Amino acid sequence: MVTTQMKSETDSIRHASADIVNFILSKKKDAHRDILFDIKLCVEEAVRNAIVHGNKSEPNLPVDISYDIADNKIIIVVEDRGTGFHPANLPDPTHADNLFKESGRGVYLMYKLMDKVHYNARGNSVTMEKALA
Amino acid sequence: MQIKVEDKNTVTICYVTGDIDINTAPDIKKTFDRVIQGKKPKVLVNFQSVNYVDSSGLATLVEFLKNIRAYGGKLKLCTMSPKIKSLFEITKLDRLFEIAPAEGDAVTSFA
Repeated sequence: MVTTQMKSETDSIRHASADIVNFILSKKKDAHRDILFDIKLCVEEAVRNAIVHGNKSEPNLPVDISYDIADNKIIIVVEDRGTGFHPANLPDPTHADNLFKESGRGVYLMYKLMDKVHYNARGNSVTMEKALA
Repeated sequence: MQIKVEDKNTVTICYVTGDIDINTAPDIKKTFDRVIQGKKPKVLVNFQSVNYVDSSGLATLVEFLKNIRAYGGKLKLCTMSPKIKSLFEITKLDRLFEIAPAEGDAVTSFA
């Protein structure tokens, strides 16, 4: 298990995804690029949400990120210090009324591209899983 | 990320190289805004050298489409990798955007 803490800054988004993709490649050199694409995207969406919506872009509030590989799947946890939210309350971005909206696709993509996505009861911590083969 | 805009006959083509994401979206938006200010009637974004798109990138493209349609222009996309095209399909944005397999197909379809 790797545990890291990042500042609520935009640079943390790509640093987090790069760390996790490099971690996967260090354990599984033949990981398929499409799987790495999905993981990179979902980590970046989760960390962005943690920074912007959770920590309200307050740089001193940290985002805690942990990840590990078990049974050939990556498990990633992203937690912020915010009050949380309930993903079930988010509008469906694929509904005809919402297609022209510019926001609201990040969490939807996480659910679609990862094998499992789970938010804690408070809604400030998300756990994502994806098989690596 | 680099973005180059070329007018080819009546079509304005935006060639993006690199990622369209939260880091690059502000710069891409500036270029798109110049295209909008010029009220270009036929606009094409060529994705041949785009490796990655996130939700911020999708949002930037939706905003571009809305602004172009607002003055009666048309926007099309072309030459997407299967992976990036799948993001448009998953989010059902393929219902908003016309996505052509090749630049020539897109240019011809404007006529």
